[in-house]
Amino acid sequence: MSSALKTTFFPTWLVDPVRATAQHARAPFRPLSNRMVWIVPLAVGIAGLALAGVAWAMDAKQFYFSYLVAWTSCLAITVGAQFFVLIQHLTKARWSVVVRRIAEALTWSFPLLAVLSIPVVLGMHDLYHWTHADVMNPADSHFDPILKGKEAYLNTPFFLIRLVAYFVIWSTISLLLYRSSIRQDLDADPTIPARQRKVSAIGLLFMAITTAFASYDVLMSTDPHWFSTIFGVYFFAASFWTAHALIALVAIFIQRNKGLQNVVTEEHYHDLGKMMFGFTVFWTYIAFSQYMLIWYGNLPEETLWYRHRLEHGWETHSAALLILHFVVPFWILLPRSAKRNRVIMSFMAVWFVVMNWFDMHWLAMPVLHPDHASMHWASLACFIGLFGVYMAVFLYRLGRHSLVPQNDPNLARSLSFTT
Amino acid sequence: MSIYGREDSDLYGVLAEFRDPGELLHAAEGVHAAGYRRFDTHSPFPIHGMDGAMGLGNSKVGIFSLGGGLTGLALGYLLQWWTGAVDYPLNISGKPAFAIEPSVPVMFELTILFSAIGAVIGMFALNGLPRPYNPLFYSERFAAASDDAFFLHVASNDKFFDVEQTQDLLRSLGARHIELVYDHGEADEDS
Repeated sequence: MSSALKTTFFPTWLVDPVRATAQHARAPFRPLSNRMVWIVPLAVGIAGLALAGVAWAMDAKQFYFSYLVAWTSCLAITVGAQFFVLIQHLTKARWSVVVRRIAEALTWSFPLLAVLSIPVVLGMHDLYHWTHADVMNPADSHFDPILKGKEAYLNTPFFLIRLVAYFVIWSTISLLLYRSSIRQDLDADPTIPARQRKVSAIGLLFMAITTAFASYDVLMSTDPHWFSTIFGVYFFAASFWTAHALIALVAIFIQRNKGLQNVVTEEHYHDLGKMMFGFTVFWTYIAFSQYMLIWYGNLPEETLWYRHRLEHGWETHSAALLILHFVVPFWILLPRSAKRNRVIMSFMAVWFVVMNWFDMHWLAMPVLHPDHASMHWASLACFIGLFGVYMAVFLYRLGRHSLVPQNDPNLARSLSFTT
Repeated sequence: MSIYGREDSDLYGVLAEFRDPGELLHAAEGVHAAGYRRFDTHSPFPIHGMDGAMGLGNSKVGIFSLGGGLTGLALGYLLQWWTGAVDYPLNISGKPAFAIEPSVPVMFELTILFSAIGAVIGMFALNGLPRPYNPLFYSERFAAASDDAFFLHVASNDKFFDVEQTQDLLRSLGARHIELVYDHGEADEDS
């Protein structure tokens, strides 16, 4: 092959680490040429972020919490997509080859999210009570012996080191798998799948540990007295759930725009739907496991966290979470026909993305407003802004390469896949 | 007798043999297109797309599963409430005699158990199992269905069934060998 894969440089690298290879894509896998696909979400995103800027000027503390919620929602999708790619490689999955490129393109959002974490770092003083110097000072009237006991872990320098480490590890895993997959499009080197599996085996271990600790750091430590060892699994469940939804949504969107015709079929949507349904139950299982053990243990330092979410109006949010994150999706996605129906699947996919944001909102926002339930416009602005930019960059990246790993040895089996 | 049995005659149906899974699949499509509904295919392994070709709808086992699951859920709730709050209330570290929180695992497990049992029972009932005997076993050739042969059986109680026309249809669909199968009601009789 004359066309070797070429690396890009900063700042293009943030968007896509390799040069566009769309001209080498075979006809059915050619990306959408319509630029509106990414210009529209970009415009919406910038408008949302501009509004978020107004929110920052008006109430910085509210802005930081709203931003954190939106940022962790996008992070969750990316983490979930990365787990998706790792698991498909490790299990030599055949069914998913036609949708794997969508997930691979999603994972290269890590560098962008690293840049977008700057407001979180700037807002640390507002977001994380443990960053305050007075709570760590025994001579001060605000001294908090519990936080002092956690100081070895919860301190600003170590937090920043961990944050950098997470993004370096995540971006490395993403880079190795994304680049090798694009390289395979140009050059069907038979050693690539085995290498991808090897990277995935080690990558899964790192992803599991970093995802758990990242969730402790960015979300759980907003309420630093509280702790839950299952919190990392909860975050994983939410992220994996949303990632499947977004993969299905993007595939349906591309097909609506005359891409991937007869490539992704209702058999693939059926399987994505099964995963969405399955992880609806898994998320509930984990969320309830956390709740039930804390209910049973009945220890004040643990129950307080739930108490905040069950009074002053937050109980409405908790009930909405139970009904809209579990009960309704469960019954809608239960029938076989629903999972094979593109209209229902795209509706549920949007639902999942919004509910995941609502879940993150439920996790973080009661810390800021323990005495009254809140759904601030800044939260909506931040979510629309960040998610718009996130999707715009992702869709732009997706348009630079073949829409499926066109030389994957299992592609033919994926194309003819039936459940 | 069998679920495809017929009252007025002991003719059980026509058994046609096809060369490969593809031919069987197309024959199933053809038989379904001709209006037949009471027919079945037999092959040594599952053939992808066969349920579509035969025009089979969604399996009804799911309904049994759902019914079992809901029964288990209700039963789990009742079990927890009756044993905890009615029959033998105990004060355990001041917790309520009955609460939904610790009952959910019991309700969940019984939901799973009963939906699994419902699925198995439903599968047996819909398949007409257990049935240790089937008139198709009178056919000498039919034993090869578990080895290397592909069969399509049209039941004689299908409303389109006609001894001659059905055989002609199967022959036109590429059947290699066709035989009439009779249900003598005795397992030891020669075919």
